[in-house]
Amino acid sequence: MESRSLGQEYTKGLWEENPIFRQLLGMCPTLAVTNAVINGIAMGIATSFVLIFSSLVVSSIKKLVPKQVRIASYIVIIATFVTLADQFLKAYFPPISKSLGPFVPLIVVNCIILGRQEAFSSKNTVGRSLLDALGMSTGFILALLLLSSIREILGTGAFLGHQIMGAWFKPLIIMILPPGAFITLGVLLGIALFIEAKTKRRRP
Amino acid sequence: MNLYTKMVVVLTSVGLLSGLLLSTVGYLTKDKIALNQQREIEDAIIKVVPGSKESEKVYEENGLIIYEGKNKKGEITGFAVYASGTGFQDIITLMYGTNTTMTKLNALTILDQKETPGLGAKITDEKSFLRFWKNRNVRNSLSLRKPPVDSPEELSPSEVNTITGATISSEKVLEIVNASLRRVNALKKEGKIGREG
Repeated sequence: MESRSLGQEYTKGLWEENPIFRQLLGMCPTLAVTNAVINGIAMGIATSFVLIFSSLVVSSIKKLVPKQVRIASYIVIIATFVTLADQFLKAYFPPISKSLGPFVPLIVVNCIILGRQEAFSSKNTVGRSLLDALGMSTGFILALLLLSSIREILGTGAFLGHQIMGAWFKPLIIMILPPGAFITLGVLLGIALFIEAKTKRRRP
Repeated sequence: MNLYTKMVVVLTSVGLLSGLLLSTVGYLTKDKIALNQQREIEDAIIKVVPGSKESEKVYEENGLIIYEGKNKKGEITGFAVYASGTGFQDIITLMYGTNTTMTKLNALTILDQKETPGLGAKITDEKSFLRFWKNRNVRNSLSLRKPPVDSPEELSPSEVNTITGATISSEKVLEIVNASLRRVNALKKEGKIGREG
């Protein structure tokens, strides 16, 4: 891990270790809230907020926390930031809070966040942890954006609520229902693995 | 410091700090959240009782709240009924407005629902559902038109339309409205709300 440059610490989250396409973490919000682009973006931002601040706190107190109680401490820290995000959305963005429903409180159990604390922030410096969290967040937001764009366009013919498809387009309602989430994710994962296989063959 | 003391100290301080932060933020956002909920209800009342400028809660019981809409001069413009009940997926919360004698339903609006997106969730859609709920005669219970029609003119005054592919959600909304109407009429007979008209 020390061999990575600071830039790579950030960029690895975009593709190489993308939380959704490469690590398959955080599938619950990925599948559940990506039926509209605005929900995908809001979920991405809320999760990023929690991830970035948890990583900062965990990496700065890593020497103080005995390893026997580290998971309990991390969960309390994560839950604190999740509750803050939830309260903030409820107070300032009530419509978004309503459409995300129970999925904001569920960020607590999003494996991306605990996974990064355990695998990265608890072993690395504050600076590297911040870059790692920023990279993972960007990767997560981009993946949610891609998934929700595909689902909203095919499922309703609109993008961010604006109709972009002509009258000839018959929305595929299944795309905004749960099966559409699995189908889209499956196809995107297939494409990701295909690209990975292609690029690996070129540089063995 | 031995390990056990350290464990206790670390967990306690993490918990304390977190509690402190949360109670501060909870205190700061509490009013704003309550205000949002209140504003949502006020907006809904103005939407379903035309001509209202302000409203006053006149009756409340489990799952049913009745508001009186008033215009600028303080005259009663009608009643807004806040009701909830089970939908196809989860609780549906809605509000509808009636005239001052509670014989006509002006309009319906859905405040909260978790119906199937693209199907049952169309109960919040003006074009496919809510416009068929304008100016209904509610002297007796409303009934559902099946199969659905294309324009509100084709319905009789005591009928409402069904959403294609979401019959259950349409029925559930109707059930909530009818049940609350029965209750409202009973309350009116008891003289707890409204006036003779």
